[in-house]
Amino acid sequence: MCDEQDLFGRQLPLTNGPANSRVRPAIVTIGRRRRCQRCQQWLLPTDCLPNQAWYCRQCLQLGRLTSHHKLYTIPEPNRFAPVAAPILTWLGKLSPMQGTAATGILDLVRQQRHQLLWAVTGAGKTEIVYPALAWALAQHWRVAWVSPRVDVCLELAPRLQQAFCHVPQALLHGKQTRPYHYRQLTLCTTHQLLRFQSAFDWIIVDEVDAFPLATSPLLQTAIATAQKPTGSHLYLTATPGEQLQRQVRQKKLAVTYLPLRYHGVLLPQIEVRLIWRWRERLTKGRLAPRLIRQLQDYRQRGQRFLLFVPHVLDLKPVAQALQRAGVTGGITVHAADGERAAKVQAMRDRTIPFLITTTILERGVTFPDIAVVVLGGDDAVFSTAALVQIAGRVGRHQDFPTGEVTVYCHSQSRRVRLAQRMIAQLNRQGKRLGGRRQ
Amino acid sequence: MSKCLLCHQPLRPPMTLAQFWCWQPLPVPVVCQRCIQQFDRISATHCPQCGRQQTKMTVCHDCDRWGDQRLQNHAVYTYNEAMKAYMQQYKFQGDYALRQVMMAPLQQALMRETYDVLVPIPVNQETWQARGFNQVTGWLRNQPFQQVLLVTADHKEQPQSAKTRQQRLLTQQPFSLAPNAARVLAGKQILLLDDVYTTGRTLRHAATQIYLGGAKAVTSLTLAR
Repeated sequence: MCDEQDLFGRQLPLTNGPANSRVRPAIVTIGRRRRCQRCQQWLLPTDCLPNQAWYCRQCLQLGRLTSHHKLYTIPEPNRFAPVAAPILTWLGKLSPMQGTAATGILDLVRQQRHQLLWAVTGAGKTEIVYPALAWALAQHWRVAWVSPRVDVCLELAPRLQQAFCHVPQALLHGKQTRPYHYRQLTLCTTHQLLRFQSAFDWIIVDEVDAFPLATSPLLQTAIATAQKPTGSHLYLTATPGEQLQRQVRQKKLAVTYLPLRYHGVLLPQIEVRLIWRWRERLTKGRLAPRLIRQLQDYRQRGQRFLLFVPHVLDLKPVAQALQRAGVTGGITVHAADGERAAKVQAMRDRTIPFLITTTILERGVTFPDIAVVVLGGDDAVFSTAALVQIAGRVGRHQDFPTGEVTVYCHSQSRRVRLAQRMIAQLNRQGKRLGGRRQ
Repeated sequence: MSKCLLCHQPLRPPMTLAQFWCWQPLPVPVVCQRCIQQFDRISATHCPQCGRQQTKMTVCHDCDRWGDQRLQNHAVYTYNEAMKAYMQQYKFQGDYALRQVMMAPLQQALMRETYDVLVPIPVNQETWQARGFNQVTGWLRNQPFQQVLLVTADHKEQPQSAKTRQQRLLTQQPFSLAPNAARVLAGKQILLLDDVYTTGRTLRHAATQIYLGGAKAVTSLTLAR
């Protein structure tokens, strides 16, 4: 049977739970509609099974909930063993600017305010949160560090384990094979939060604007449900969307800015070049001469680059067209690619000169000394956030703090202009803090 | 805007001029073109007994091993990765809405068959309680069918899909006939309907029972092979 601890702050469909657990039906009827109690989404009138049970399609991935199920929960008691003396075992040092941001966050956490850390790409967001996280853990708070992307969680897990080596941690995601354990610090994907109810005193949401969280009401409610009524959350991002920026303006969300990278050089601005009807040309196997010339120039100088295309289907024709034009040596990467990790590693090891890729490499990857070219930047898949993130791949390294970002489009687009505006705004703020062009 | 049931991308069905001039409501697809193309249709060259996709029209090795226990089966799709993923979500995760994906292809396939009575393979009582539906009858739109088979063996220690070929072949007869079976079956041509043909054990057990009920001929149709 299920251990009592496993139910602390959780909501699980069981056949029978411990005596002190609270039970509620998984699907309730409100008026003429039905609502799933796990994901708080409405059911469609067609979601009825032939045995008269209703089921929720929205959170089906976590195991099907029907109206025959009951959700068991035990309110979170915060029953943790006290953590050994130095909670933060991280040996690195924050730069003065990072230090200011870290103090700002700590002050707001003490007031239990909802907040946003708006730090440019490559500012060292994770480390900035460490002091506040150490404080929260010392208060016996239960804390979750979540991200919509499983790769971010997997990459973060060893770093957090090292930085807080006396704090027991749990890592949850869809492909996790180890069983669940009750831990003070939980690292998970946003989907896993659906299994929690009023559990966390503080939730840190990494890459809050990333797919699928940004567009999914399901996951947004998951954060609200998993957080205690007295709890608060911290959003981390380099590119907050319209909605978050509005909440900041309305003072619903306190904000800490960090508009300058740790090496103190401003962000590279996006340069737009128009190439008319490039897609029609591509079907004939050709690319714009300006683009070819730029890429040939990069190849001659030995400058490595990333070429972003809008869709997976564009990868092959673009690669073939480049081959024909004499820009050789690159390989393509997309989300479903089995050798994705190996190819990215090869790029890191400088064994290949360039990668042709889709938006999967827009965040979470760092290559020193790289240039970025976007083909078809006016396509709908390149949101403003995606473009700023893509531009943020450039100049992340101390020794190569600058670089070129070129976006080729068929026509001017609002998304590209907003991206340029966001970079310009961050750079204006960065200049005030003493940012340099070179 | 409606979304594809499988990949959740917005559906943008192309409208033809013919549809435009028909002045009728547009047909609403439930899956996008890309997803439906993942399923691999079985072409005209297949094994005459089990319906497996192959390059020639001879009896395949597996059917040869069955010897005299003949069965004439047709299958609509091959059992590839996409079909496996579909079955996983529909049957084992219990996403009943996915039945709509296969409704139209199965309806077309049924129209090509000649039969008097359609008999879907039943699920046992436990599965019915847990899953909430029979995965085979879920695909039927409003084609009439007769539930003449009953599952007697309720002691499934492990599901069929978790067994090896050898273990599957040793499975005992799980079916029995319903009380009204003789009246329905006598002298009729019967078409059995199942989800996946793997070894043919289940369908042969079912066919044996149907013949006992007095049917003239039994053929079968499965979604995948």
